Amino acid sequence: MSLYQLQKLIYHVNRDPVQRERYREDSAAFVKNYDLTEDEAKAALAVDVRALYNMRVHSLLLRPFTLLHKVSNEDYAKALKGLE
Amino acid sequence: MPIVFACAASHAPGMTAWTEAAPKEQAENFLGHYRRLGERLAEAKPDAIVALTVEHWANFFLNSMPTLCIGRAAYYDGPIEEWLRIPKARVPGDTNLAVEIIDACLDGGFDPTFSDELLFDHATFLPLHFLNPGMAVPVVPIILNTLTPPMPTAKRCFAFGQFLGQLLEKYQKRIAVIATGGLSHWPGEAKHGKINIPFDKKFLETLTGADRVKLTEYSHDEINNEAGSGGHEIRTWIALAGAVQNWQAEVLAYEPVVPWATGCGLVAFSR
Repeated sequence: MSLYQLQKLIYHVNRDPVQRERYREDSAAFVKNYDLTEDEAKAALAVDVRALYNMRVHSLLLRPFTLLHKVSNEDYAKALKGLE
Repeated sequence: MPIVFACAASHAPGMTAWTEAAPKEQAENFLGHYRRLGERLAEAKPDAIVALTVEHWANFFLNSMPTLCIGRAAYYDGPIEEWLRIPKARVPGDTNLAVEIIDACLDGGFDPTFSDELLFDHATFLPLHFLNPGMAVPVVPIILNTLTPPMPTAKRCFAFGQFLGQLLEKYQKRIAVIATGGLSHWPGEAKHGKINIPFDKKFLETLTGADRVKLTEYSHDEINNEAGSGGHEIRTWIALAGAVQNWQAEVLAYEPVVPWATGCGLVAFSR
């Protein structure tokens, strides 16, 4: 479990234009810069909203990250349906 | 001159970013009061605004998360959100006032972080858009960590507010103090869109009542469970309640605006 590293990756993509560009150029290579578990890397690369939420990524990091990937309000809500 | 103006206000981004999604009556009532509050601030002719505020990963991350940070920059740029539908602007700071507050804190039992460069996100920029249109009045931001635990307790926020109020009352300039955040909301969470109206009303009742010290009884868990992760921002209101403890408080507007996903409140304080 490396929630700090996972959130750091998302924070960098959300807030740093240079890092975001690197992420967009090659996301698979980009995530290797962070100490993530296999599941965390997979969830980040797939922008798996439900998995990332269940990994306890802060909602105000997660939602901007998903907005960068054009996840609509409806799809975001659908991904979290049934969760607390 | 002492504190010449005080108010607390919510800052839901939907107020500007998707204004028209709200029922027209709710939006007009709330935003109309917001603008009129801005007129009242201007009439008070403050030399500076001290903003008890928060941020949403705009400046700080978990590698270093200040509990209390006072900005002493010459200016602040914002808003960072491209989609907020508020024009970008540079807000002047008041470095001298900030330095005086920081020094007084260190002498008086509070140990803030300070920063010479902060960006404003909607938490600070949206209230200033309504309360300080044109961004003419310089601002000293005081950022409380209400984003991620551990956060300052309600008791500590109130005590800080008391300290700040006593300090500013002795200051030679005219100061407006604003608090921004809340009320109940669950941004980006599975419960996004929920508004706890009973919690919000009880909070406003206590805030405007005779015994504001009761606000110090809110626990982290109570706020988290009843007002959501966004509800933690009421700590800024609690700090303001300490700063103007003996002033009268009036709820100008409370609108639980579902499309804005927030219990939206506006409270004005007067001597």
